[in-house]
Amino acid sequence: MSALTVYAASIAHAIRTSLRDRTNFLLQALGMVLNDGFFLVLWFLFFAGFREVGGWGRSDVALLLGIIMIVVAISGVFFGGYRDMAATILKGELDSLLTQPKWVLPRLIARESIPSAWGDLVVGLILLSTTAHLAIVQLPLALIALVCGLTVYVASGTLYASLAFWFAGARSFARDLTDFMLLFSSYPGSIYSGATRVIAYSILPAGFVVLTPVKLLRTPDAETLALAISASTIYFTLAVCAFHFGLRRYRRGDVNASLA
Amino acid sequence: MPVVSVRDLRKTYRYARRRRGLRGLLTGAFAPEIQQVEAVKAISFEIEAGERVAIIGPNGAGKSTTLKILSGILEPSSGEARVLGLVPWRERIRLAYRIGVVFGQRTQLWPELSARDSFALLRRVYDQETEAFASRLAHLSGRFGLAEFIDQPVQRLSLGQRMRCEIVASLLHAPELLFLDEPTIGLDITAKAIIRDVIREQAREEGETVVLTSHDTRDIELVCDRVIVINDGRIVVDEPTEQLRRQFLARKLVTLRSAAPAIALSLPGVTRRESEPHTSMFDVDTRVARVEEVISKALAQGGIEDITIEDPPMEEVVREIYAATK
Amino acid sequence: MRFMRRRSDFPRTADAALAAFGIGLRQAFAAWPVLMGRALFYLVVMAILAALWDKVTAAHLPGTLAAHLPEGALTLYVGVTEWITLSVSAIHLRLEDDIRSGALEPQLLRPKPYLAQRISESLGGAAARLIVLAIAGIALLVLSGRPQPPLLAFMYVAVLGVLGCAIGVLLFTFAGLSAFWIRRVLPPYLIVQKLTFLLGGLFAPISLYPRWLFRFALATPFAAHTFFAGVQIIAPSERFFFFGIGLEVLWIIALSALIALLWRRGLARLLREGSP
Repeated sequence: MSALTVYAASIAHAIRTSLRDRTNFLLQALGMVLNDGFFLVLWFLFFAGFREVGGWGRSDVALLLGIIMIVVAISGVFFGGYRDMAATILKGELDSLLTQPKWVLPRLIARESIPSAWGDLVVGLILLSTTAHLAIVQLPLALIALVCGLTVYVASGTLYASLAFWFAGARSFARDLTDFMLLFSSYPGSIYSGATRVIAYSILPAGFVVLTPVKLLRTPDAETLALAISASTIYFTLAVCAFHFGLRRYRRGDVNASLA
Repeated sequence: MPVVSVRDLRKTYRYARRRRGLRGLLTGAFAPEIQQVEAVKAISFEIEAGERVAIIGPNGAGKSTTLKILSGILEPSSGEARVLGLVPWRERIRLAYRIGVVFGQRTQLWPELSARDSFALLRRVYDQETEAFASRLAHLSGRFGLAEFIDQPVQRLSLGQRMRCEIVASLLHAPELLFLDEPTIGLDITAKAIIRDVIREQAREEGETVVLTSHDTRDIELVCDRVIVINDGRIVVDEPTEQLRRQFLARKLVTLRSAAPAIALSLPGVTRRESEPHTSMFDVDTRVARVEEVISKALAQGGIEDITIEDPPMEEVVREIYAATK
Repeated sequence: MRFMRRRSDFPRTADAALAAFGIGLRQAFAAWPVLMGRALFYLVVMAILAALWDKVTAAHLPGTLAAHLPEGALTLYVGVTEWITLSVSAIHLRLEDDIRSGALEPQLLRPKPYLAQRISESLGGAAARLIVLAIAGIALLVLSGRPQPPLLAFMYVAVLGVLGCAIGVLLFTFAGLSAFWIRRVLPPYLIVQKLTFLLGGLFAPISLYPRWLFRFALATPFAAHTFFAGVQIIAPSERFFFFGIGLEVLWIIALSALIALLWRRGLARLLREGSP
């Protein structure tokens, strides 16, 4: 079986598991819809009162939020293991995966499918198809933008989780970093300048998760496309390398795992 | 006057049965199906001051319910109970000053702080005078050997050390009655022995009444002088420990693993149990046969790979007790 | 050796509550990595919200609410409201855990009221966070080089903020007590959180709302939780300070009474039917 079919099988299993408890699944998905809906109301009020911020209008922020919601949704449904990877590593749960004849990282990522992510998907799709003012003809570009953003998001989550190979405090810190990245990705890019801009385009790469995709869809040009693609390639490579080196450490027994 | 007196105590739980799925969730909210479970069915007993009593029984037998009623955190459906002259569920706070409780599986200490800090808070919870408290803490700390870890964060202590702190915490206000719920659960043999010894000595010295529940038969044997067995909501046995031991606990279970499919043994007082191939299980009545003899006879046959000697599981003892008392 | 036990009365209960407050405070400082994590989160949130609000107020777009707001005002406001809300302890989770896991029962065997002890402990934890986050916030303010509000404003904020934080703890207690009846306290908690956003003006002062909504929000405990303290950093006012104190004290009393009522009913249910 090729690596792709193995992955597909793993994640299909994870999705089925998340659907098993129907009630819980619906409650979580619906809960997220309500949660997202509420924040959209707040943004609506914001624009009613302030009209625009740094050149970003309501439809621009709608596009931004639509993209980040879909990125988080797809990450959660199909790559859900990224979220609690640090905890998995520190609990010593890698051991059983290491004895199997397949790559560890894909198995880790395909481990879990997060039910609430479906709620994000619903709201994200509604946003993109209504308030974001996207044309049908932009669909291929939107797909590229989403794939790039998604790659950077999951890769960054993996990078943060890989810190667990080096220090035990990463268990909650990795989750914090992912939350910070999400926070940075939920606000219009025009507000970032100086230090925050540097952060948004490096360690908490909201710049590549949402801002470049938004730019790609609002003012598409070759430069932005190249930036989006190279950024996702770089982050992907960094994540795989960091995990690989961390795993080597783990195999040598240098990692203080099984600290439950 | 007895310290604990219980008469015709009954408790029936009513709960709504949970139905699965979304439909179940909705119908459960508006038209719940009520089911009734009679946990305690008219039990009566008395405990005098200074007695050390074990209340045992299989899970779901009603012993936790009984203890909860006696400590005041549950109301009975009917019947009477008095603890230290008070009605527990009506005078819970007044009773609280005079009882000590240790729940083996739950901690009453604050994990990030030292045991000493937790004790200091408890001093104020129980309204104790500073000096008298300090000398009592010193006394208990010495007796339970807390000196070397009393100032370390509780979460860094071993389970055995933590349990000793928990027991001291429950004794600081000099209660007249001590409730212990699974005090040795999860501890290793040495720790268990220490805990049992100190509880017994403490109770003897200060004349405390002790009510203990446990799944460990050694807890019962070494700490308590009376055993009440509750099964299916009723008291089926209420006897001094010695008597119970003689009748039901004088048994050991010997399990042998061998290269040969089975070990042949024929000794009076030794009965074979059904088991898998290469494993032989024997019930040894220790009043008639000696475990030593069983082992040496088995070893003489050769090919023994593993020997296990255990007490019969509590469930079995109680089942047997219940069967014997039907 | 038996002790002379003094009868339980209010001074004794208050003393035990004070001891619990101390324990909560010390526990929070003992778990200092968590505290530092909270401070870091505060700084990151402030970095983003400052960027947002500075941009908005710098533009002074006519016909919008930002037209007349002083520069940097909204950032200071959010600095205060986030200081308060991030200091509130997760007492609802503690209550959910105690009530649903049965850990409540041994606590009921103590001679002091469980809920008062728990709330005092939570307030102690909140106090630790209020201190640490205040230091972080003021450091950030000084380093940012912004024009500083007058000292009086800080004093008003301190008093109203501490009381506001206590109101937050009481609101979360309310959510937590729902554990007697429902399986997860998350929904009531989320409702309290959302109402704090909307009616407490977590992100922007409720004074920016249309008049009718502003009046309505002002009358809710959520405004008492965050708005009264926050607004003082933008526009310190003695009159509004005393108005704020009055309302906050009233809400503390009202919420405490409601909580006591809910607790009694929940406890009665527990005593009748055992652990959920």
